[in-house]
Amino acid sequence: MTPCTVTTGFFTLGKCGVMAVAGCPACGRALCANHVTEGGLCPECAAARNQVGHPAAAAAYRRRAHRHRTAQEYSDAGWYVGFDSYDRAAFDPGAGADQDYLDDGADALVDS
Amino acid sequence: MSEGHRAAYVAFDRFPSAKGSAVHIRHMAAELFERHGGGLLCVLGGGDLPAYQREGDVEIVRFTDVVPNLLDRAQAFTAWVAEQLAPHRDTLELCHVRDPWSALPVTGPMVYEANGLPSVELPYAWPMVAPSTLDKIRELEQDCLRRAAAVVVPSSVIGKAVIDRGAAPDRVHLIPNGADPVPASLPRPEAAPGRYLIYVGALQPWQGVDVLLRAFARLADLTDLHLVVCSSVSPNRARPLRRLAERLGLGDRVRWQYTLPHEQVAAWLAHAELSVAPLTAGPRNLEQGCNPIKVWESMAAGTPVVASDLPVIREVLGDDGRFVPPDRPAELARAIRVMLEYPDVTHEFAGRARRRVLTWSDVRHRLAAVYDQVESR
Repeated sequence: MTPCTVTTGFFTLGKCGVMAVAGCPACGRALCANHVTEGGLCPECAAARNQVGHPAAAAAYRRRAHRHRTAQEYSDAGWYVGFDSYDRAAFDPGAGADQDYLDDGADALVDS
Repeated sequence: MSEGHRAAYVAFDRFPSAKGSAVHIRHMAAELFERHGGGLLCVLGGGDLPAYQREGDVEIVRFTDVVPNLLDRAQAFTAWVAEQLAPHRDTLELCHVRDPWSALPVTGPMVYEANGLPSVELPYAWPMVAPSTLDKIRELEQDCLRRAAAVVVPSSVIGKAVIDRGAAPDRVHLIPNGADPVPASLPRPEAAPGRYLIYVGALQPWQGVDVLLRAFARLADLTDLHLVVCSSVSPNRARPLRRLAERLGLGDRVRWQYTLPHEQVAAWLAHAELSVAPLTAGPRNLEQGCNPIKVWESMAAGTPVVASDLPVIREVLGDDGRFVPPDRPAELARAIRVMLEYPDVTHEFAGRARRRVLTWSDVRHRLAAVYDQVESR
């Protein structure tokens, strides 16, 4: 039996493990009947199917689009354009304290 | 993705993880989703975590974009959250957030859970940040806290800090952290040394683990005593502290455990002689405040606690622990020695403390009351 390899669980994560009935055409992982989406993709690929291109480019696009959209919606353009390059420089990866905050990936702003 | 969630929980935190924040998110989000028939959880991804999950009526989406600069990443997260919330705009009744960048895209009723304030904590990790930048971040916090229908804080020190930032006092609700009862029969971890002190938690400078190592170096005559550091963060972050332990000649008397699953930490705590919470007297603990889950979990495990004498710890421990002046290794070493020499008195402390522990179920009841209040407005 080929088990379904979709990650499941809320706080404790594991693999689904139910008998697979298909494979995701995008990433190839085995899928059980519950985890095949309408288009035949796995849930992750289905959720991401509209997100293409380089991740950083996508993020920059989202930032620009969001600032543009919300500046009118919330009338608070200042919140989004208030940080200049001087502000940002202090948060470049090399500017962190000795305790490297990048070693385990994107981390919280507040560490409490 | 299906549409029409009535509730969303948004946090610029990786979830799940070994950190106390994840335990908190787990219980708070569970309460929110249980009363709204499911919901949308927007958190940070990374590692092996899937970008998308569906668990019954709960959808979990994780931000996975690679954005090296933290401020850029936070703003990209805001934009991403706005996209995630947009399809549910008409049905969302309540959003629960943990930080300003999660709060910015929320337009409807919002509960802001203030466990920490970036304007206070960020300089510890990013020492080059300018005061003018922190002022801007503080303005962001003020804007979000003023908009919140309710602000939930785990300690009265944070309560004061959020009121100083413009939160209406009648909207600030104190809900301390909790811990679930630990069964008395938990087996001793296989790797546990004979007699050991324990530190559980992350390793940021404000935790005072360096103070604990220096104190432990003064207990070299207690040759059968070990110190176990159960770090909730990766070995990379422990490097400076491990170097300090080597310089102090502590060698294998200090045992390091990394990112243990939460359920295993209880067994390590339960079999320790003492649990130490050596928090420092810096702005993060004195002005911002905190409510250390490590202290709650030690109390629940029936392990005596020795901790820094700070208002945030007094709030949790009451008089049922031993307090020492913060940042004083010699005082801490002396207190540990005294506690080890008088086990009867020490365990009396622990027994009293255990009876006072708030369970996560109690915490959820208090949060439910806040939700009731917000929804009745």
